[in-house]
Amino acid sequence: MANDRLVDIFALMARYEREGANEGSLCMVAAEITELSGAAIALLPPDADMTSMGASNKVATQLMDLEITLGEGPCNDACRREDAVEETDLVKNNGDRWVFYTPQAIAFGARAVFAFPVRIGVVRLGALSLYRDSRGSLTYEQASSGYLMASVIGRAILAMQAGASGGALAAELEREATFDFAIHQAAGMLAVQGSTNVGEALVLLRTHAFATDTPISTLATRVIARETSFDREKGMWLDETG
Amino acid sequence: MSRESLLVATLVELADSLVDNFDVIDVLTLLSDRCVEAVDVDAAGVMLLSPGGELQYVASSSDSMRVLELFQIQTDEGPCVDCLRDGNAIVNRELIAPDERWPRFTPRALELGFQSVHCLPMRLRGQTIGALNLFRTELGFLDDQDVLVAQALADVATIAILQHQSSIAAVTLNEQLNRALTSRIIIEQAKGMISESMRCNMDDAFAMLRAHSRNHNLGLTSVANAVVSGALNPHGLDVPKAKTRS
Repeated sequence: MANDRLVDIFALMARYEREGANEGSLCMVAAEITELSGAAIALLPPDADMTSMGASNKVATQLMDLEITLGEGPCNDACRREDAVEETDLVKNNGDRWVFYTPQAIAFGARAVFAFPVRIGVVRLGALSLYRDSRGSLTYEQASSGYLMASVIGRAILAMQAGASGGALAAELEREATFDFAIHQAAGMLAVQGSTNVGEALVLLRTHAFATDTPISTLATRVIARETSFDREKGMWLDETG
Repeated sequence: MSRESLLVATLVELADSLVDNFDVIDVLTLLSDRCVEAVDVDAAGVMLLSPGGELQYVASSSDSMRVLELFQIQTDEGPCVDCLRDGNAIVNRELIAPDERWPRFTPRALELGFQSVHCLPMRLRGQTIGALNLFRTELGFLDDQDVLVAQALADVATIAILQHQSSIAAVTLNEQLNRALTSRIIIEQAKGMISESMRCNMDDAFAMLRAHSRNHNLGLTSVANAVVSGALNPHGLDVPKAKTRS
């Protein structure tokens, strides 16, 4: 079933890639697809502070830097939660939600802010931060787009961690299913084989797929069938098929 | 147990789920299992619409790899796609290959021994959240009563999902669907870890998750979460008493 919105996202990503992709490209796609004023992506490495992965415009950059400095705001909240974070009117609801963040965010030009957690199962990768220069809540469609964009960003982050170039992400991600149970099962197995967490295991899987020029779903199926496995002591992949 | 008793028990459990430990995967796995027991089918599964509008596998009566693959294919083609696109239930569709309409789905389903397929929409007051997919291995058809029962079970599960309110704040439909999909991923991640740690297959891994969840009155997702995050060692999971799943 061709999913229009997903098709649009990949088309936009491909367009930016043709025009010379940079860190801000994914954010520009996010802002366009949600029809909001701007977007930024926060990364949350394990046991480390939140950092920025880029922004679509100056205001989005300022808002992200503000959150990183203060450790407070919608993105910070989203990194810890399951659901999206929404503040429809920073001016009116200037209560004690984000005491230091709010007045500064308003000064930068934001009126409404939203943030979507970027996660893959238990793996928390960061958050997608969006703002609008006027107040108001998200429509159902915009919220759907936000969740969808967050899932694409999650896969994009993993792909980049595994070595994919920012200039060919759209094609890479489009080839794969959004949800492939085999990939997640394989990641679970690899986490045990490699004595690591599932996040690292997903990167391990993807890196090996790139290295062997194998589609990730094919590699995942092989892992599950125990035709290949990762040997932690030797620090390499073993082929059981001989 | 008569069908009536089974249905009553199922409805009670679905109603209970609204109050305690609401877990969408639990509810939909229960729905799938009970369909297989109460209606003349051999496998059942549920696909939900992701926030992006794509159908994704969320629960089924069987966790065998090949059945999961059958659901994987249904993101792009098959009874669930047609059912939701056209808005109509698909009942007693005999599987015959080659199939122009479902070129990948039908041969795979036949390989698994399924002869007919059915798909019922899960919707309430114009809001569609997904579809219930049923498979039969025997020739012959589901009678009207069976279809009614399956649709009723699907409707109750739909209501449970749409009406659920968390104790803290109202959960929007997007959030509910997003959580269901995230939960499914966590469960698959947990199955992988259990399968590797315990050297068992994915079916058995899932059975352990379920047994532990039932015995300790915990949501399935929360047990899976505990396993993946390292809080619960797979060796510490309860072992199911008897294998009742197909």
